[in-house]
Amino acid sequence: MKFKTKLIQAKLGLLIIATFSLFTSFKIHNQSVVVDFSLKNVDGNMVSLSDYKSAKGFIIIFTCNHCPFAKLYPKRLNALNKKYNKLGVPLLAISSTDTLIFEEDTFDKMVKKSRSEKFNFPYLIDVNQMVAKNFKAEKTPHAFVIWKDNGAWVIKYNGAIDDNGAEPSKVKEKYVEKAVDAILQGKEVPVKETKSVGCQIHFRG
Amino acid sequence: MKKISKNTLFFLIIFKANFLLAQYNNLWIPDTLSGTTFNLILKDTFAQFRTGNQTITGAVNKSNFWGPTIIMRKGDAVNFNVTNKLNDSTTIHWHGMHLPAIMDGGPHQIIPPGASWQPYWQVNNQAATLWYHPHLHEMTQQHVTKGIGGFIIIRDSTEDALPIPRKYGIDDIPLALTSRRFLTGNQMAFSLIDNYGDYEMVNGTLKAQLNLPKQVVRLRILNGEIQRGYNIGFSDNSTFFVIANDDGLLDAPIPVTRLAVQTGERYEVLVDLTKATIGGTLDMIAYNSASELQALTPGQNIFGWPGNEGNPSNPTGNNGPINGGLLNNTNFNILRINIVATTSNPITLIPVTLIKNNYWTTAEVSKSRTITITGGQAGTAFSLDNAFFSLTKTNQTVNLGAVEKWTIVNNNIFGHAFHLHDVPFHIISRSGGNMGTNLRTYEQGWKDVVWIPISGSVTFLAKFEDYADSKWPYMYHCHALTHEDEGMMASFVVVNPAGINQENYSDLDFMVSPNPVKDKLFVSSSNPALKVYYIKIFDAAGRTIYMMPMPKLNEGIDMRNFKPGTYTIQVTDEKFKQTITKKFIVE
Repeated sequence: MKFKTKLIQAKLGLLIIATFSLFTSFKIHNQSVVVDFSLKNVDGNMVSLSDYKSAKGFIIIFTCNHCPFAKLYPKRLNALNKKYNKLGVPLLAISSTDTLIFEEDTFDKMVKKSRSEKFNFPYLIDVNQMVAKNFKAEKTPHAFVIWKDNGAWVIKYNGAIDDNGAEPSKVKEKYVEKAVDAILQGKEVPVKETKSVGCQIHFRG
Repeated sequence: MKKISKNTLFFLIIFKANFLLAQYNNLWIPDTLSGTTFNLILKDTFAQFRTGNQTITGAVNKSNFWGPTIIMRKGDAVNFNVTNKLNDSTTIHWHGMHLPAIMDGGPHQIIPPGASWQPYWQVNNQAATLWYHPHLHEMTQQHVTKGIGGFIIIRDSTEDALPIPRKYGIDDIPLALTSRRFLTGNQMAFSLIDNYGDYEMVNGTLKAQLNLPKQVVRLRILNGEIQRGYNIGFSDNSTFFVIANDDGLLDAPIPVTRLAVQTGERYEVLVDLTKATIGGTLDMIAYNSASELQALTPGQNIFGWPGNEGNPSNPTGNNGPINGGLLNNTNFNILRINIVATTSNPITLIPVTLIKNNYWTTAEVSKSRTITITGGQAGTAFSLDNAFFSLTKTNQTVNLGAVEKWTIVNNNIFGHAFHLHDVPFHIISRSGGNMGTNLRTYEQGWKDVVWIPISGSVTFLAKFEDYADSKWPYMYHCHALTHEDEGMMASFVVVNPAGINQENYSDLDFMVSPNPVKDKLFVSSSNPALKVYYIKIFDAAGRTIYMMPMPKLNEGIDMRNFKPGTYTIQVTDEKFKQTITKKFIVE
């Protein structure tokens, strides 16, 4: 009797675990998964990951206009997109900053920034900060490399773009490039996570 | 064997000489802000401290670490506009300033990102070196470590008349002493185990050097550390002269060869360089090795620890040894001084006397209190009187105008730097503990931080003058930033028992006009007895835009910086602390 009860409990437990994992499949083989989004681009159109039918992966950069450290990177973002877009890994920049606090980050100013820096990639506004929360983005800039894996978007790299903000010529480690190159060559990403460096994204309460 | 040509040798020598010089970075001297209206913008930025990536920092106005030195005069009415452009809430506390609690910038006065806080006060302090720094509960260590803060220099006519150096940046130098621990990628560490930095910084400059003229110079020393104490001396072991401590000048210069400075403390010293050699050097050194500290206080280290400072053999956390920095238990350089030519109108003599201080006496005491340092054992955090800080609790109530005797008792495992807000105090005794029974002569004078050694107690007298507010508290706490963040802090209010307002008013009927408004918004009441305690203005999204403690309303509130739209004004009355909110439109 006791034995049978235990068996039922075990079966029930398995069932619960199976059901639970169905609904919370955010971790596959210890990999973090992010969900698609639909955000407004500086050209006025809505942009989703699913719009890019042939994309193998994405370089997602959380950035903003106001942060002094983010201001160091526009040229490098253009170069990244120029290099990897044609290889099926486009770059999307997302601003999740609280625009009520930082006037410099309002949509109008994003449009201006995109023009003045000649951004060759979409610059999206994450008005309700949900995408930043989904990615657990902390800083501006904060880079993610995501890749399609069984229909899900898996984070393959999470952290800094490279290891020197103000002195591009002294960069020793191009983390994002190394990650994308490795995946494109079918190799393991050498450095999967670094500490993103920049201004803290202030999440509204 | 290859011959090295004369030229090559010459270049090698030059290279070597340059290399030696390049070991030091020129000390950054903060800009000054003078006058009576001050705008401070707190911001996130970055600084190139080390080779490789830049370090994310916090700073005020144009700096990339730390902020401008604010110069004000006793008697002036000063107005501040503190705008928080950080990606985080914070507060700004005017350390050492005697002002109303609501202007004090303690943990209750939270400035959300994007908001401007507008405190003002009459400068009652005498000439002294104060400082401003964040004081947000549980975040003080992080915000101070990032670099937010600055000096305040108060001048007055008594000090003006003294023959002491006063040329800022030339013979009168502010020195904010700190140390930092850097993580991989050169980012600053601010976890609870990062109490001690690995690299010394003066005014945000690593390996600082400074040119000082061959004459008497004045150094305004601030210990802006997380927890480290400094035992300061000079490489030639020369005598230097303490002329002021936390809150003002002493009666006369005190000659010393070593000066212990704890977190939050300020000491002004005169260094006589009249006999120094132009082109020569002198090092300002922290003589913090175990043997030096024990020579200072036989038997035990004065800097908190029962034995020596924590050392790298301590358990190692993620960022390095817990409580162990590379500088612990060592003598290390604070500042390289290069002696240069004498300036015009130099000060060449150490004055014999300074000012006449009149301290409170025990005969005036109307109330005695004892504060006990508690907690800290078996891995728990330190506390005061067995309670952690609470934003909603008032721990002491002090009568306006009372001279009180406070005794801080430390029967505990660590020394602490006790800081009192609102008013300066005068120490009358230190007993027990590893500093002996005697106060150091340079600890006389007006203080707002005092070192409480292990197994010791300190008694001081303070007069709680001028400002009563039964709602808004002042703080007392340990100035080791990790200790206060963990709750070794408590609050007191100053009340005016004689001044209880018997007037009755039933209706709170504040009005705002004109509405819609363009230039100036006026807040008024039909009941002249109603006084405004606090005004906050929120935008349409509910964000705090302006925070105005005890606003001066005669001239109206300037609306010219407001964008057109609907705003909410929240008015709190002085007596009942009740709030009324009204909407208004800016055209």
